[in-house]
Amino acid sequence: MPAPYALATSLDQVDDAVWGKVREAFAEALGLDEEEVLFEARIIGELGAESLDFLDIAFRLERAFDIKIPRGGIEQSAREGAGAEEYEKDGVLTQKALDLLAQAMPEVPREEIAPGLKATQVPELFRVGTFYNLVVHLLNLKAA
Amino acid sequence: MSRRARGEGRFAFLVHPLSPAHRRLLGVRWVDPPMALGLDRGLGLTDVGPIAQVGLPGVAMGTVLSIALDPAQMVAEPMDALVRMWRAAQLCPQAGAVGLGSLCAVVAGRGEELAARLPVPVTTGGAATAWALHRNTRAALAAVGRPRGPVAVIGSSGPVGRAVAALLAGEGVAVVVDGKRGGKGLDVRVAEGADDAARGCPVVVGAGPTGGSLSPGALAAGALLVDVALPGTLSGPAPAGCTVLAGEAVLPPPGWSRRGWGRLFHLFAGYGPRQVFACLVEPLVLVAAGRDRPYALGRRLEIDDIADLGARAEALGFQPRLARGWRGWRG
Repeated sequence: MPAPYALATSLDQVDDAVWGKVREAFAEALGLDEEEVLFEARIIGELGAESLDFLDIAFRLERAFDIKIPRGGIEQSAREGAGAEEYEKDGVLTQKALDLLAQAMPEVPREEIAPGLKATQVPELFRVGTFYNLVVHLLNLKAA
Repeated sequence: MSRRARGEGRFAFLVHPLSPAHRRLLGVRWVDPPMALGLDRGLGLTDVGPIAQVGLPGVAMGTVLSIALDPAQMVAEPMDALVRMWRAAQLCPQAGAVGLGSLCAVVAGRGEELAARLPVPVTTGGAATAWALHRNTRAALAAVGRPRGPVAVIGSSGPVGRAVAALLAGEGVAVVVDGKRGGKGLDVRVAEGADDAARGCPVVVGAGPTGGSLSPGALAAGALLVDVALPGTLSGPAPAGCTVLAGEAVLPPPGWSRRGWGRLFHLFAGYGPRQVFACLVEPLVLVAAGRDRPYALGRRLEIDDIADLGARAEALGFQPRLARGWRGWRG
């Protein structure tokens, strides 16, 4: 599969080969039909994933793409991106953190990454597309 | 380990320590001194080993083998865990089946990756857990005098939770599940999350593989929580008057053998002196039945397989037993 890939904000922007494997990984990990795995589907709220399902999803993506997904990678990269600035205060994300998350998760509507968002609520924002973009990001890093 | 060995009444059961302290105490029986003292993280590939012999003499005996990874390590490095599980299985070459305990049954594709590498059936314990949890839930309903429920099933999207919800609903019990995925195709009420599901229910089933998903305040006064999650389903101590019970506890038959290390292993895993956990029964029954197929692997868990396992386990004398494990006391 050729890299670099572009991040996608909707299904019509995905690389078909990458998306096919991502969708297959989600379907197998969550016991769903592939047709049920939509790019914009919320992984927790709509697909019903639990914490350990994320492990299974990450494991299957790592196997499918020969990549290593850092545990907690999406939020961790946002934390690191915040540098010396405060990432959260009393569990609520700072504006800097919100901006970094919005940048890291372009597939999530910006209005959902709004002031008042708690750090513990971030996983509820994850779409299937979030993992597609994470895979794309890691594939691009691998190819660089 | 070979297919030739199948049917000889031997099985392997793979576990891991539940905490770093547990690992030092019992994670691997023959540990290197540095590991016993907590001076290394146990990441050497040789850190797998047998810790106990358990089973029914004359029917099937099993070797409990531990890989020296605590839960955080299992989660962070599933491929490492897979390699260790494979190595542990090699230490029991006469085993005709391999059972998986705790996170061994979850990481690396819920047993599928290990099964692809071994010539004998690998079974996750899901069928035995569902059998025991269902039976213990029925006992809890009888204890509260509400045989028709309602029962809340937390963790209903997982194979065990979904199976228990289906079994109860099929018996006419009013069931509330904590998400629409768990209720798909079942005659149950779908709630908006765990707290919403539990409210007003005299019996709550904690069927998720890990816990912390249910607020103690959501439990009704006097509710019984029949729990298999580890850590427990509640995110805090159980409220006064509510009781947490070990959902997968099984009373072993007379003749059950586990010797000193097996007793200690069960004690550290949170069970009383006359309890075993159900998932340990699954590979024993599989071997005793001479069955080729696992009872549960990946997300696959069929109601017929649960019934078959339950019937065979009861014929051997195993009985689900509603009781407190000591982790239940902690709430």
